[in-house]
Amino acid sequence: MFAWRLLLREFKTGDVLTLLVALALSVATVTGIGLFVDRLQQSFEVQSANLLGADRSVRRDEPIPQKWIDDAQQAGLETAQTASFSSMVFGGDGLQLAQVTAVADNYPLRGEFLVDETLFGVGKALQEAPKAGKIWLSSRLASLLGVKLGDSVRVGEAPLMVTRFLVRDPGSATSAFSIAPRAIINRSDLASTQVIIPGARVRYAFLYAGDPEVLEQFDSALARKLGEGERIRTPIERGERIGSTVNRAESFLLLAGTLAVVMSGVAMALASARYVKRHLTQFAVMKTMGATPKRLVRLMVFQVSMITLLGIILGSGLGLLIQALIADLLSSLMNSSLPSPSLNKLWLGAATAIISVLAFCAPLLARLVNVPPLRVLQPNAGLQVSSTSLFAFGLVGMYGLMVIYAGGWRLPSIVMIGLAVVTGLVFLVGWGLFAVSRKLSKQSTTGWQLGLAALHRRLVSNLFQLLVFTLIIMLSLVLVGVQSNLIQDWQAQVPENTPNHYLFNVQETQLEGIRGYTQDNQITASDWFPMVRGRVIEINGEAVDVLFPDRRNEPEIVERELNLTWADQIGEGSTLVDGDFNAAGVSIEQEAAIEANVGLGDELTINVGGIDYSLPITSIRTVDWQSMQPNFYLILPHSVLSDYQANYVSSVFLDDTSAAGFYRFMANYPTVSMLNIGELLKQVQDIIAQLANALKIVLTFILGAGALVLIASVRSTLDERLEEGALLRTLGATKKIVRQALLIEFGALGLFAGLIGAAGAELALVGLQHFVFEMEVTFHPLLWVVGPLAGWGIVTIIGVFASRAVLKVPPIRLLRSI
Amino acid sequence: MQDTETLSALTIEKLNHSVTTSNGELDILKGINLDIKDGESVAIVGASGSGKSTLLGLMAGLDQHTQGTIKLYGEALETLDEEGRAILRGKYVGFIFQSFHLLPSLTALENVMLPNELKGNGKADDRARELLEKVGLSHRITHYPRQLSGGEQQRVAIARAFASAPKILFADEPTGNLDSKNGALVEDLLFDLNREQGTTLVVVTHDPELSQRCDRRIEIYDGELKES
Repeated sequence: MFAWRLLLREFKTGDVLTLLVALALSVATVTGIGLFVDRLQQSFEVQSANLLGADRSVRRDEPIPQKWIDDAQQAGLETAQTASFSSMVFGGDGLQLAQVTAVADNYPLRGEFLVDETLFGVGKALQEAPKAGKIWLSSRLASLLGVKLGDSVRVGEAPLMVTRFLVRDPGSATSAFSIAPRAIINRSDLASTQVIIPGARVRYAFLYAGDPEVLEQFDSALARKLGEGERIRTPIERGERIGSTVNRAESFLLLAGTLAVVMSGVAMALASARYVKRHLTQFAVMKTMGATPKRLVRLMVFQVSMITLLGIILGSGLGLLIQALIADLLSSLMNSSLPSPSLNKLWLGAATAIISVLAFCAPLLARLVNVPPLRVLQPNAGLQVSSTSLFAFGLVGMYGLMVIYAGGWRLPSIVMIGLAVVTGLVFLVGWGLFAVSRKLSKQSTTGWQLGLAALHRRLVSNLFQLLVFTLIIMLSLVLVGVQSNLIQDWQAQVPENTPNHYLFNVQETQLEGIRGYTQDNQITASDWFPMVRGRVIEINGEAVDVLFPDRRNEPEIVERELNLTWADQIGEGSTLVDGDFNAAGVSIEQEAAIEANVGLGDELTINVGGIDYSLPITSIRTVDWQSMQPNFYLILPHSVLSDYQANYVSSVFLDDTSAAGFYRFMANYPTVSMLNIGELLKQVQDIIAQLANALKIVLTFILGAGALVLIASVRSTLDERLEEGALLRTLGATKKIVRQALLIEFGALGLFAGLIGAAGAELALVGLQHFVFEMEVTFHPLLWVVGPLAGWGIVTIIGVFASRAVLKVPPIRLLRSI
Repeated sequence: MQDTETLSALTIEKLNHSVTTSNGELDILKGINLDIKDGESVAIVGASGSGKSTLLGLMAGLDQHTQGTIKLYGEALETLDEEGRAILRGKYVGFIFQSFHLLPSLTALENVMLPNELKGNGKADDRARELLEKVGLSHRITHYPRQLSGGEQQRVAIARAFASAPKILFADEPTGNLDSKNGALVEDLLFDLNREQGTTLVVVTHDPELSQRCDRRIEIYDGELKES
């Protein structure tokens, strides 16, 4: 078949190959990032689900209706139930109040228990529940009771054998402030304990897990049956810190992918334009040989379809390889491996290829088919390009692609508006700069004169080239900027030595001993905060029940009993927003104030130990909840709380070496509660490290793609410049002058592009930080150095490299070959 | 059925052609009448800008004329659309250009095969090898145009032009880009093949020697025809 043969022959020379490479790279970038993001998302969901013990959980005060379980199982979901209650545990030396959780045999549905066989051990993962008749005790509970493995303890009426020491259970992180030591028993022993009697306070949890689509359907059905104050908990909200980290990473990857689509579009357009330019005469020649327009359309459609198909296959393969490579690189850096990619995301790459071809190639290729055969005699026939319509086609295509990619209008619209602004800026500033260069050229030496004057002489084509350079430099700078901002921000979230254990219920008399131990053993500890429980009952004299009749809409500060504290100083991680912290009133956390709709001067009535205190709000603060320091919504004057006996709370950082000793030491203070959140923190740190690495790899990949586009764009206008260089040489210009002129023209283009790109990137970064990533707005002075330098350097290097031909080859051969 | 001696390859009657420029209508060809017999060789000469190449383009159906009639082997070009003209070109016409216009992505052999391949002719390969041998390039069939000298490229172009056995061959300054030695070689080839295949030849040229070798010599002066 002739069309095949022609295509194969075309492959041997570069032009079809350039097109294919551009196409395959677009597909590979989009597919690679798409698949990788998909795997990351799956991985986060799995990891977060591990923290929840299931994909979803619902907690309620009543037993779980059998219908819920039946419905879930019918839908193909796995289910499990737990019941938690406070109970006395008897054994060994005495009795102790404990938080007991009775779990089903198949609990946890996701994640695992961390248990140990030695007291205060670090723990090993175990994915099964205690068997009937067995009980797992936290080390603290065991040491309070003075029992060891194999001993018998009693929960209510049920005798149970201690078989393991509990380090962490999947649900523990949720109950960050449950103070009593924990025990886990099998659900089948619940009845025999006889603790579940009318009026007993039991928290039931309904857990389920399964296929995401089924989950979604079941969620919406279940949501209608939930009672007051009940809701479906999902994994990602569970670790809120992880949630926001993941969201930002997703935004970044989405942005990166969208910008990659833009770059691919530019690459495709450039490759197509070059292809068309070089083939116009060929098509005219074929027409003189009797090839009819219909025939040529068929030929073109066939060739383009084949190239597209090949591009999709190669690109998808490359994309799969890239994401596998990224995942592989990451897996050596973290302890969990990523789930395998869902291959149905491959359609994204194919869609990119088809839309790119339709938007960027098809209009240009149509010109090929319509080339007048007269062109063989009159070389200028058929050269007129309606650039605006081509541009419009490309823009619509690109926007469509971004919408598909980002799955929404917002980001693509921001990017498009940004592109429009940059285009305007480039044309305006570029025109001005070129005009200045022209003036300067009149007072320069030959090489400079030629180079600078050329900028203005080829005004339109240089403005377009400047636009492409600027866009690529700007997009690259934006990505570098966002990435480094994000990583800094994340690393700041969980600094080294972030406290990983909370200590509660510390009596004033115990303070000195514990403090002394931490100081002697160089254990990092936060301040000790006195804690007294109290409840807000009135705001400005009005009862909260009247103010907030619907309990579901209650602000947090009136919903429950609060931990109250006093302090002389505002404390680490908190910032005063308004008012005077040391005034004789209440200091309130900003978001709590907004939620309750109160401000400076409003009066809160707080009930502490049966006595009401009415106090004005005298200061408003922000609190860094992620600092892992104890934090408080309300801080009261010391004078109010001084009569109450306070429990102290603090957080400490224990590493593997200090933990065992500290645990042993704390056995001297059996009444102190200790909560280990190290696992949770480690998980957060893992995810952050994983994300930071992912971002770096994706960034490198996109910067590489950007460099390729830059090279393609320099090459696209090189022919013209080479021709001019050859002409200059025939007119007697020395190699040196020709080279100088070329380098000055290219260098100036690169430098200007770098400057405008840096300005654009700075603007874009400010916008992105504020609107998309919701981070503090910072400025990036380094951009202004890197942008112009990189622009000048890269473009010059490519220019030098590509222009060697002008300087080596005799001018006549060069003129003939163009 | 007419006798071959009197059959017209090309007939032009009252041909006017003008183009629109920024300064208004510009008449390029005015009232041209011409009859070219089958098998005849005709040189069109004239100063630069006199309209020679425009006339060649119109005769070959590469462009649409403004007024008058052009008949190529009895078919009036003005009645055909681009599709129809392309079919007609495929049937009767061969071309040789000043700047050769070989396809850079194809080898010498593939370039010569192209016209027959476009027509779907199975024997494209044999025919092309035969022709390349005739033009003395059988040893360079796998070379790409950029690896050939100007003279060699034009010889490949000649082989390509004769590949589809055209009834009429249009040549636009075929020796214009060549030195005298290569020019003479190309010229000889052109006339040898022309004689051998009985092709009608229409040559636009500045070269007095080339025009002398043609049966007829037509001069265009300011868009009007003058036979000499």
